[in-house]
Amino acid sequence: MSLIEFRNVSRVYKVGDHEQKALDGIDLNIEEGKFIVILGPSGAGKSTLLNLLGGLDSPTSGKILVEGRDIANLNGNELADYRAQTIGFVFQSYNLIPTLTVYENIALVKEIVKNPLSVKDMLNEVGLIDHIDKFPSELSGGEQQRVSIARALAKNPKILLCDEPTGALDSETGAVVLKVLLNMARNYNKTIIIVTHNQNIAKMADQIIRVKSGHIREIIDQDKPLSVEEVDW
Amino acid sequence: MLFRKLLRTIWHYKAQFISMILMVMLGVGVFVGFQGEWYSIERDTFAFYDATGFADYRLVSEYGYKAEDSDKISSIEGVDKISRFLSIKTNESKDNDVVALTVTTDIDVSGFMVTSGDEYDKTSKDGVWISDLYAEKNGYRQGDEITLKYGRLSITGTIKGLVKSSEYLICVPDENQMMPDYEKYGYVYISPAMLKEKLGFEFYTEIHVISDLDKKEFIDKANDALGKTNLVLTKEEVVSYGEAQGEANEGKTMASILPVIFLGIAVLIMATTMQRLTINEKTQIGTLKALGFRDAKITKHYTLFGLFIGIVGSLLGIGLGYFVAWFIFNPDGSMGTYFDLPSWAIYIPWWSYLVIACIIALMTLISYISAKNMLRGNAADSLKPYTPKAMKRLSIEDSKAWRKLKFATKWNLRDLFRHKARSFMTLFGVFGCMILLVASFLMMDSMVGFVNKFYYGSMNYESQIALKDDTTNEKATEIIDYLNCDYSSTSAVSFNDEGISMDIYSVGHDYVRFLDEDMEFVKLTDDGIYLGQRLIEENNLKTGDKITVSLYGSDKKYEFKIAGTLRTLTKGIVMTEKYAIESGVEYRIGKLYSEKSIDELQNGEYSENYSVIKSRADVIKSFDSFMSVMYTMIGALIVLSIILGIVVLYNLGTMSYFERYRELSTLKVVGFKDKKIGNLLITQNIWLTVAGIILGFPTGIWITSILTKALASEYEMKVIFGWMTFVIPVVLVFGVSLFVSWMVSKKNKKIDMVESLKVPE
Repeated sequence: MSLIEFRNVSRVYKVGDHEQKALDGIDLNIEEGKFIVILGPSGAGKSTLLNLLGGLDSPTSGKILVEGRDIANLNGNELADYRAQTIGFVFQSYNLIPTLTVYENIALVKEIVKNPLSVKDMLNEVGLIDHIDKFPSELSGGEQQRVSIARALAKNPKILLCDEPTGALDSETGAVVLKVLLNMARNYNKTIIIVTHNQNIAKMADQIIRVKSGHIREIIDQDKPLSVEEVDW
Repeated sequence: MLFRKLLRTIWHYKAQFISMILMVMLGVGVFVGFQGEWYSIERDTFAFYDATGFADYRLVSEYGYKAEDSDKISSIEGVDKISRFLSIKTNESKDNDVVALTVTTDIDVSGFMVTSGDEYDKTSKDGVWISDLYAEKNGYRQGDEITLKYGRLSITGTIKGLVKSSEYLICVPDENQMMPDYEKYGYVYISPAMLKEKLGFEFYTEIHVISDLDKKEFIDKANDALGKTNLVLTKEEVVSYGEAQGEANEGKTMASILPVIFLGIAVLIMATTMQRLTINEKTQIGTLKALGFRDAKITKHYTLFGLFIGIVGSLLGIGLGYFVAWFIFNPDGSMGTYFDLPSWAIYIPWWSYLVIACIIALMTLISYISAKNMLRGNAADSLKPYTPKAMKRLSIEDSKAWRKLKFATKWNLRDLFRHKARSFMTLFGVFGCMILLVASFLMMDSMVGFVNKFYYGSMNYESQIALKDDTTNEKATEIIDYLNCDYSSTSAVSFNDEGISMDIYSVGHDYVRFLDEDMEFVKLTDDGIYLGQRLIEENNLKTGDKITVSLYGSDKKYEFKIAGTLRTLTKGIVMTEKYAIESGVEYRIGKLYSEKSIDELQNGEYSENYSVIKSRADVIKSFDSFMSVMYTMIGALIVLSIILGIVVLYNLGTMSYFERYRELSTLKVVGFKDKKIGNLLITQNIWLTVAGIILGFPTGIWITSILTKALASEYEMKVIFGWMTFVIPVVLVFGVSLFVSWMVSKKNKKIDMVESLKVPE
C-alpha cells in the first residue's frame, strides 16, 4: 500500500453559473520517503492537488487515502488533527506570524502536537540558531523561508508539502533553502512534495508528476536525481 | 464609473459601512434626543407660560390685597400687567378631593386656555372652568355641577369649560409631593364676579405681576408702593416654573455629560474604522493612481465614503433623536404624569445641527486624510499593500516571567502592542460603555436610594394633616394632645434676598426624621438651626456660623446659630420647637403627623379643623410616578449604551479579525482547531474588557459625582451604591463582549485557507 493514494479525485469550482474543473478524475500513488515534484503551467491544478492532500480543501468526488485513511470525508476538527500530525506546510510567502519571534514561530507547534522535535535542533539544522529572538520582519526572505521549513518539520510530520518554496527568492537563496529542505527531509525520512514552475527543482526529484488542465499527463521516475550542487541554477 | 465603484465598495464592506452608519446614528441620536428632551420642555413650557400669562412676581399676603394695592403696583414703571389672584384649597363634595379654587382678576395674568367647552366669561356668576385632567380622572363633563367646600362656605357652579393653566403646570398641592395625582388633586377657575357673589366681598391673597424688572428693583419698588415689606415670590420659587425649569436643567445637565460621552465614543471609533477601511483599499488606490487617475480625483472618490456615512448616519440619527426625545417627553409617558401641557411638540436646538454638521465634516476630513496618506509617494509606492509597523521587542520581554508565558498570551500581548490604535479603541469602547452603564445605574441607585430613604425612612407617620388656616395654636395643641402626634410649622423667610422655607418641628414620636449629609438619620438638637445642603454650599456656611433671616410680612429679624446640615427636598431651614421658642420666633402650627389612618381622622374629633389629610401611601404613590420619569431617561440611555457597545465591539472585533486573518489562516493550516483559534481571539477581548471595566468603573463613579453635583440645585442627593451598580454594568459589558467575541470567533469556521494564504506578504 502506498503512503498516498488519489482515486478518481475531482475538484470542481463553481464560478457563477460556470463550473471549472481544477482536477478531473485523478489517480495517483505516492510512496513513502520520496521527493516528488509536481510541475505544470498556471491553472493546471497542481496547487489544488497540494491543497487537497494538505487537508486545506476537500475534493468534489473521489478518495484521497493517506496511510489507508480517506481524508476526503474528515470533518473540520479531524482535518485540523490531520494537518497537525501528518502534514508540514512550506509556502511561497513563508506565512510566519509577525508578532512571534523565530523561536516562538516554531515553538507554537507544541500547542498542537504531542511529540514535536526540539526547536533548537531545528534552528541548528536551518542555521538560524543565532536569530532565535528575532522577529520575522528582521530576517531576509531566505531566512524567513528557513524558519518556515523548521516550523513545518518541528511537528515531525510524515509528509512535507511545499508550494513554490523558492518562488519569492532569488536563485542563489532559493538553492540554499532547497538544500536545507532536502537535507532535513532526508535526515528525518520525510516524504516531500513540491509544487513548482521551476524545471531545475524537478531535476532533483525522485519522481516528477506533470499536470495539465486538471489531468496527470505524465509521471517520470528518476533513478539518479541530481543534488542541489549539481543543478545549474 | 467611479460612482459605480463607490457603490460596489460600499456593498463589499457592507458590514463595516452598516456598523459605521449605526455608530453615527446612535451617537447623533442619543445626543440629539437628550438635547431635544430638555429643549422641548423649555420651549413648550415657555409657550404655555406666554399663552396663559404666567406671572414673573407674586406678592403674597394672608390678609389679602385690595384694588388700591394692585393699582399701586400697576403704576410702578416697568410693570406690564397685574392681576389680583386667589388660590385656596377647597374640598370637592363628591370624593372630598382637594381642589384649588382659583380666581384671577385679569385672565391675561395667571389665566388659562380652554381645551374644550365655553370661552371664559368674567361676568359669569355660576361658571366653573375646570382642569381637563382632573375632570377626566373624576368623571366631570361640561354642564355638570360641582360643589366645593371651604370651611362653612360652599360654592356650587356649572362646568362651562375644560382648561389648562400654566399656574398648575405641575399640579401638586405642595412641594413635598413630587408628582401630580389628578384623582385626588385638581384645580378650577371661577370669575371674580362669582367669587364676590359667593363671599359677599372681594378677597385676594396675591398680586401677580408681569414685569421685566429685576428682582431687587421690583421688590424695592413694590415695598415702596405699598409702604411695607412684602413676601415676594419670583417665578423661580413657584413649583410650576421652578420645578419645570429644574426638570429642563436636569435634562440639560444629563445631556451635557452622558450623551456627549456617547457621541465621543461613536465618533472616535467611527474615525478609526474609516481610516482602516481606506487602508484596506490601498492597493486599489494604487491601481487607480497607476492607471493615471489624478490624486485629487482619487481623494475625492474616497472622501465621498466619509461624507456618505456622515450624511446617512446623521439623518438616521436625527430620526432616532426625535424618537428618543419623544420617548422621554411625551404626554402618554411618565413625563405626561408630571406636566400638564397643551403642546408636546419636539424641538431640537439649532446647535445640535451644528454639532451634526461638524461630525459630517470630521468624517469627510478623516476620509480625505486617510486617502491622502495612502497616495503618498509614487504610483509604485501606492500599489504596495499596506503593512503594519514591524514588530519590536517589548520591554517586558527581558523578564523571566515573559519566558514562562504561554504562546497564546505572548501572541495576544504582542498583537495588542502592534495594533495599538485598534487595541486602544476596543479598550476605549468598553471603557465608554462601562462609564455610561455605571453612571446610569449609579444615578438610578442614588435617586432611588435618596428618595427611598427620604420617603420610606423619614416619613414614619400614617397620615399628614394640614390644619385650617384659622386654627389657633391653642386649638392645635388641644388636637395634638388628643392625637398624641408630632407637628410642625412652616413659614416663609427671606435669607440673603432669597425666599426660603423655615420649618419648626416637634418630633417626640419620631414620625418625621431628618437626614444628615451622610444620609444617616439624625436627631435635631435644640442648640441651633439646620440648613439644607444647598443653602450651606451656596452661601459658604458651616456649622457654628450665625445667619440672619427676616420674616415676610413683618420687620422682624432673627439671628440663628447653625447646628448642622440636612439633606432636604425643599430649600430651607429646620429647627426644633424648643430652639424656636428660645429664639423668640413666632409661628403657627400648620401640620400634624399622626399614626392614625385617614378614616380614623376624618371620623374622629376635631376633623372640622383639618383642611387636607394625606396618607403616606398617597405621597409614596407620587414618589413612584416621579421615579418612573427617571427610569424612562436612564432606561433609554442603558438600552442605547448596550446597543452602542455591541456595535462598537462587533465593529472592532471584526476589524481585528480581518487584520489577523492571515495569521489565523496560518494557524489553521498548521493544524490549530477552530475552537483554539477562537479562544485566542476571545482571550484578547477578555483582557481588554477587564481593563475597560477596571478603568471604566471608577470613571463612571467620578462622572456620576459630577452629575450629582451639577444636579445639586435640584436634589440634595448623595451618590449611593446599590447592588445594581456593582453587578449589572459588569455583567452587561462582559456579556456584550463575550457575545461579540463569540460572534466574531464563529467566523473562524469560514476561513478560506487556500485563498487567504495566496495573498502576498
